[in-house]
Parts: sequence; C-alpha cells; structure tokens
Amino acid sequence: GSLRTKLVHFWHHPAGPKTIHFWAPSWKWALVLAGIADLNRPAEDVSLPQSTALAATGVIWARYATQIIPVNYNLLAVNIFVGITGIYQLQKKIRWMQQNK
Amino acid sequence: MLGRHIVRAMKTVRTAGLAAAGKKEGGASLMTWVNSETGPKTTHFWGPIANWGFVIAGLNDTLTKEPDTISPKMTGVLCMYSALFMRFAWVISPRNYILFACHVSNECVQLNQMRRWATWRYAQDPEEDPVLQIQESGKDK
Repeated sequence: GSLRTKLVHFWHHPAGPKTIHFWAPSWKWALVLAGIADLNRPAEDVSLPQSTALAATGVIWARYATQIIPVNYNLLAVNIFVGITGIYQLQKKIRWMQQNK
Repeated sequence: MLGRHIVRAMKTVRTAGLAAAGKKEGGASLMTWVNSETGPKTTHFWGPIANWGFVIAGLNDTLTKEPDTISPKMTGVLCMYSALFMRFAWVISPRNYILFACHVSNECVQLNQMRRWATWRYAQDPEEDPVLQIQESGKDK
C-alpha cells in the first residue's frame, strides 16, 4: 500500500472528494473557523438565538456521528468544536445580559 | 432500555385489543411513521429537528436585529453550508426531507441576511459600493 495507492483509493471512495458526503461535513469546519473569528466580537452583538442553536446542534450532531454506521470521526470532531464555540458565545452573552439588566 | 420494554408492552396490548374488537390495523399509517427508520424514535429525525433551530434563530435575527450586528463571515459561511447540506440531505440514504427543507429555508434566511448587511454596509460609505461603481463608470461612456 504505497502513498499513491492510498490517494487513488481515497479519490475514488464512495464518500470521497468527488462526493457531497465529503464536502458537506468538511465545509462544517468553516463554520467552526467563522465561529472562532466571531469570538472577538463584543457580547452585545452576539446573537442569543444563533449561539443557542449552534451549541445545541453541535452537541446533538456530535452524538449522531457516533451512532451512525460507520462512525464518522470527522463529523464528531467538527460538531464538538461547533458546540464548544456556541457554548462559549452563549455564556458570554448570558453574562453580559446579567451585568446589563 | 426500559422504554423499549414499555413500547413492546403497549404494542402487544394494542394489537390484542384490536384483534379482540375484530378490527384491522386502521391507524397504521401514523404508527408506521412513528416506528419507521427515519421516525421520531431515531436520530435521523431529531438531528434535523435540532437544525431547524438555525432557521428560527435566523428569522428572529432578521426580524428583531439591526443589520450592523450581522456577521458577514458567519452569514456567508452559513449560505455555503446550507447549499451543500441541501444536496447532502437529498442524496443520502434514506433521503432526509426534513433536513432538506431545513437547509432550503436556512439558505433563504441567510441570503436575505446577507442582503440586509450589504445594503447597510454600502449605505455607510457609498464610495465603496461595487454596484454604484459599475453604474458610475457606465455613465461616463
């Protein structure tokens, strides 16, 4: 199994880079990066509904990734990060709301 | 685990009751869905339901927030995200209509948010409006 063989196998895989099964979950990493870029935004600009939605979806889909066959570690990892950034923004917003009642 | 036993017991009671009354499985279509491989007992159902949170959050932001609070990075990423996952939901097996509908809706919501932000952004500094630039350069000709 040379590197070339592995790359060819990957390229032709039914869930490989020629398919949506690869690109859709992979693009979700962009969601994590956008979330990280947004971490510096002031708390008053953070959207409470959006950060709640991101936190919830991250946690639920992380579990989902472990329940499907085969287990999708890429999907699990990306959703853990989506959940963490969502939860961080959520608690930041909630604290700000408490201080500015 | 206990849930499974409860459900099994309920099914047995129901079937026995219907048989005793001489009735066929008339309300089967609802229970068929409930017990299906993409029904409310499975993650294929609840995952997409959770994703509707995005759509509701987006609608809430559209209706109650000023455009200056919109993050163009996050909105742009969500536009691409829902475009990809619309296709994903359609081609996976089993096809997931709830997930598909969710991402179609989110795409519309996010594109509109992008429009709101861009309108606000270029109202701040008309010099930088690309559409205005094109119109202006067209006039000189």
